[in-house]
Amino acid sequence: MAWFIGIDIGSGTSKGVITRDGEIEAYHLLASGVNYGMAAQTLKDELLARASLSAEDITSIVTTGHGDGIIPFSNQHVADIRCCAKGINRIFPSARMVIDVQGQSSQVMQLDDRGQVINFAISDICAGGSGRFLEIIANVLQMKLEDIGPLSLESENPVTFTTGCAVFGESEAISRVSEGIPKEDILAGVHRALAGSVFALVNKVGLKEPCAISGGGGLNIGLIKRLNELGIQLLVPPQPQLINALGAAIIAEEPVV
Amino acid sequence: MVHIYFSGIDLGSTMTKVVILDGDEKILASVINHTGAEHRRLANKVMEEALEQAGLPFDQISYVVATGYGRITVPFADRQITELTCHARGVSSFFPDVTLAIDIGGQDVKGLKIKDGKLLDFTISDKCAAGTGRFLEIIADALGLKLEDLGDISLKSSNKVSISSTCTVFARQEVISRLSEGTTVEDIMAGIHDAIASRVARMVERLRTGPDVLFTGGVAKNIGVVKALEANLGCEVFVPEEPLLSGAIGAALLGKEITLKALASGEPIQKEERRLDEATFFK
Repeated sequence: MAWFIGIDIGSGTSKGVITRDGEIEAYHLLASGVNYGMAAQTLKDELLARASLSAEDITSIVTTGHGDGIIPFSNQHVADIRCCAKGINRIFPSARMVIDVQGQSSQVMQLDDRGQVINFAISDICAGGSGRFLEIIANVLQMKLEDIGPLSLESENPVTFTTGCAVFGESEAISRVSEGIPKEDILAGVHRALAGSVFALVNKVGLKEPCAISGGGGLNIGLIKRLNELGIQLLVPPQPQLINALGAAIIAEEPVV
Repeated sequence: MVHIYFSGIDLGSTMTKVVILDGDEKILASVINHTGAEHRRLANKVMEEALEQAGLPFDQISYVVATGYGRITVPFADRQITELTCHARGVSSFFPDVTLAIDIGGQDVKGLKIKDGKLLDFTISDKCAAGTGRFLEIIADALGLKLEDLGDISLKSSNKVSISSTCTVFARQEVISRLSEGTTVEDIMAGIHDAIASRVARMVERLRTGPDVLFTGGVAKNIGVVKALEANLGCEVFVPEEPLLSGAIGAALLGKEITLKALASGEPIQKEERRLDEATFFK
């Protein structure tokens, strides 16, 4: 019997899966905190416990993500775009594009039928193009991240943000709050702004369908609806945050060339 | 010469500046205050304060020009003129030979190419907080420092760190990581100032024609940014005595030109109905 582990240390959340023959046997998520090495170790221990396995049962471990620098037990470090493409290919074999919206970056990949990346674009130098923008505005409104997407859909009069900058956006949100603008209108505005940045990224590569979404952004119905409005229909996996970890585990299963 | 007076009011994103000049272009009053959330009410207040300083009633001011980000919300101005034009006029009054002026305010970065006091070309970055006064405020806050102390602290650095993030949000995070690794505050601030300066130097490169550069706006009060700009531009960077006032002074001087032109041609000075006490126009 051969088991494999994929670990994705994100800027906010760390994710891990154990697979056997490409099927998830166990998974776990935890906050990355400030010590990525510790997060990775805790994640691995928890995964083994959940699958009732010991470290010796694991054939190979592949790690990826923002915090994948110096994880001592990693057998292979793999770029997150490769993991994302592999993971999505496992869930949606027909997908030819995937949009990965993470806490600190967004990326768009075109992929072939085997889940290999053909072309991609990354936005990682501006917080306005990532899930961070949503977190900042949720914080202004003192709301939980998981609540902002649904509430944003209730807006009838979305606020327009004058720039895509998360810092200026935060000030604008505070001004709108002080003017008495309802939360849903501010939220609709920020989701629309982020969808606009993601749309620009998609256009850099060229939209291919079917298109899937992954990462924390895939949990946000507000973002998905705004992307739909821009003409992008999306396949949404059941656990979008786990895609990169799943892809990492699938890469671990592949014979080393 | 008859006693004529001119006022310029520059409503910036962060600070509001008012000056009153006499016919000889002598500064009779200057007031600098935080813009805050209530622009409109504040515009009145700072103007009243400036009038008091100058010892003049409002109807003695021949012409009021408003400029800056919030200029359309100044109800008592006779005319609104863009900040680029006013800045160019203002900096040329301090340094007639200036060819390149850099202005870094609370929410934007501007480069102005000037010849004989006229604006020839410009570049502006106002869609992103990187390198603006806001950027420094956020970094100061993360380090628990006062904005006005950043410059001197950074000059003590002997080993500046390299800050790789341009984005304010990510740079703040990077600063916190460096702190937790034990990097000193001096070295971090020197790195931050260098990051701002190298970005601005790239922005203004195509506008350079002469050897020297004039630097204005609130960030010009930061000696660390001044020194970092000198290093990145490879030239001397001059800062006027009060770097915040160039826009307001330029606005007042443009008001004087408009007035003198009107007087010379015998036309009445075009003034819209303007009364300071009625200027609270909240709906």
